[in-house]
Amino acid sequence: MRDLILQALFSGLLIGGVYALVALGLALSFGAMRIINLAHGELVLIAAYAAYVVEARGGVSPYWAIPLALAIVSVVGAVLFLMIDRIREHRELNSLILTYGVGIVLTNAVLLAFASDVRTTTAPALQDAVTLGPVYAMAGEIVAFGLSLVLMVALWWWLKRSWYGRAVRAVSSNRAAATLMGINPLRTELVAFLVAGALASFAGVALYTMSVVQPALGHALTVKAFIVTVLAGVGSIPGVFLAALLLGVTEALTVTLASSALQELAGMVLFLLVLFLLPSGLFGARARRG
Amino acid sequence: MLRRALVAAAVTLGLAAGCPARAQEARPGTEQQIREVVIGAHMPLTGSLARSGQAFDEGMRVAVRLFNETAQGLRIKLQVIDDESAPAKAVSAVEKLVSDGAVAVIGGYGSNIVGPASDAANKLATTYITAGAVSDELTARGLKTFFRINNNAGYQRGMAGLIAELKPASVSILASTKEAPALLAKGLARDIGAAGIKVTVHEFDPAISDFKPLINKVKLQDRSEILLMSAYENDYVGIIRAARVLKPPVKLVVGAWSLATPKMYTEFPDLMNNVVGTSFLPFPVAVKDEEGRRFAEAYRQAYGKDIEYLSTLSFVETTILAEAIAKAAEAGTLKSGGLPETLRATDRRTLLGPVKFDATGDNPLFSLAMGQHRSGQIVLVSPPAAATGPISYPALPW
Repeated sequence: MRDLILQALFSGLLIGGVYALVALGLALSFGAMRIINLAHGELVLIAAYAAYVVEARGGVSPYWAIPLALAIVSVVGAVLFLMIDRIREHRELNSLILTYGVGIVLTNAVLLAFASDVRTTTAPALQDAVTLGPVYAMAGEIVAFGLSLVLMVALWWWLKRSWYGRAVRAVSSNRAAATLMGINPLRTELVAFLVAGALASFAGVALYTMSVVQPALGHALTVKAFIVTVLAGVGSIPGVFLAALLLGVTEALTVTLASSALQELAGMVLFLLVLFLLPSGLFGARARRG
Repeated sequence: MLRRALVAAAVTLGLAAGCPARAQEARPGTEQQIREVVIGAHMPLTGSLARSGQAFDEGMRVAVRLFNETAQGLRIKLQVIDDESAPAKAVSAVEKLVSDGAVAVIGGYGSNIVGPASDAANKLATTYITAGAVSDELTARGLKTFFRINNNAGYQRGMAGLIAELKPASVSILASTKEAPALLAKGLARDIGAAGIKVTVHEFDPAISDFKPLINKVKLQDRSEILLMSAYENDYVGIIRAARVLKPPVKLVVGAWSLATPKMYTEFPDLMNNVVGTSFLPFPVAVKDEEGRRFAEAYRQAYGKDIEYLSTLSFVETTILAEAIAKAAEAGTLKSGGLPETLRATDRRTLLGPVKFDATGDNPLFSLAMGQHRSGQIVLVSPPAAATGPISYPALPW
């Protein structure tokens, strides 16, 4: 039983790292612009398919797809932002509907381009087993977890230290006051959206190297990212990482100690419990003040 | 005035004669023109089941093409609507197809979609045939207009038969909680358990992305000799990959549908070798009869690839339906509700084996062989009557 639980904890942490990677971009656009980008999972999906193209057609490591994924996702992200920017009334609600629709369009575009076959890396090095004492993982999972950690720190640093990061926080806090301070809110939000797209690019490539991707996956990724974002609470980047790990470990322990059939239910129960007890999330603004 | 009226009447009659009449009745014994009959189909061309829907679509189109090449006095037109893998869309699709004049509907994929869609067809007194829904509940409804050519029992017979031949001490079943895989797992557990073999079933949520905690249970708790998977392609890849990392002490990995296909080996060569799945043809494809050869050739011509499991299922259902329509049209009963009766009289050999419908519309003769991936080839290994080679056992992909 000890080995079972250790493996569950380890697997939970690794899958939690991927959840964090997918959720960071969504959390940024939600925190900075109060926009829940329901097409975020599809942006991740596009990056994953870029990795597939580079590996399958180019015959090289899928990590070489990162520049291509960044370019494609940035263009799609910028177009999406310009569409959102045209919304004049009820921005939060209408952007929800708009991004949901764009998500459907993107899923079907991927379906048309790549058919509905399942794709995953065939690179032996990424699928090899890594043994750490009594626990096992795939090499691709370890890399994805490391990438998630690095990007989380980089995003936290960018928001805290860089001029644009501070501008994003200022616009998020009080758009009118930020404008009076000489910040261009449109440009700042575009930058935040592009950074969220960049995070989605990394997430997509990492996902391809450790999991199976197919066109219908985008929506599921968005839902998972949304759960993590709400669990973490608005405005806390390390909180997103920790909430994702918590979700991953909860799911893995449910599989080990109960049944895998209950793992999604366990995640949703955790989500509802946090919403009920801590409406601002585990690491949201109110919790931090406390 | 009279002359004008006569000219108008002549033009109207001329146009009416020239237009293709949908589902127009044949009059036995009279000289006929080639008549067009519309078959409707709702398929999940997009959404979560798109992979299956697209393969079904390909098989249907080839079947219609081949039928039209040889049919006398009748031409089938296929009208396909994408049901987006959603039950409500499938119901709307059936209503639209019937209102557009379809004499019968070919069903989509997934019991949860086929169920309400075939209900809708039944209310509209329209024949509905499927090869993509195996739930027993579908035939338990006793609909007179519902037919299907494959069922859960057929897959169960194939897989349980292999296990009976291998006689392992214990088996672990990993089953998706989706309706069809869960039902198959339940039946397998019952059949295999009845043979005195220890069976442990692990159900998993379809949203699972990491199978390692589950495989670790097989490795540390079950210690089974055979790992059975009742799931879909993405699950197979995840399960075998996790097993490759954890290396449980199993001797064979066996799965259900869509596993023993050339495509799976082409896309995941490092994961598929020695894996066994339900199949009806070896690979390289070796079809024994003329119908199979024509289908394989036309399919390769149209899509540049070999026939596979799903496209063959839809080819068979479409061909059987088209033949029944032709017979009903010839007998003059197509419009008077004779199609279900004609279809129920079906008794023929197909690429999938014999097809015959019982009172519930099910095909009790449906049964599949088991094929093993062997370095890019698929060898039929069970039952002995269908085998093209001996099974490699113990044998694993890693």
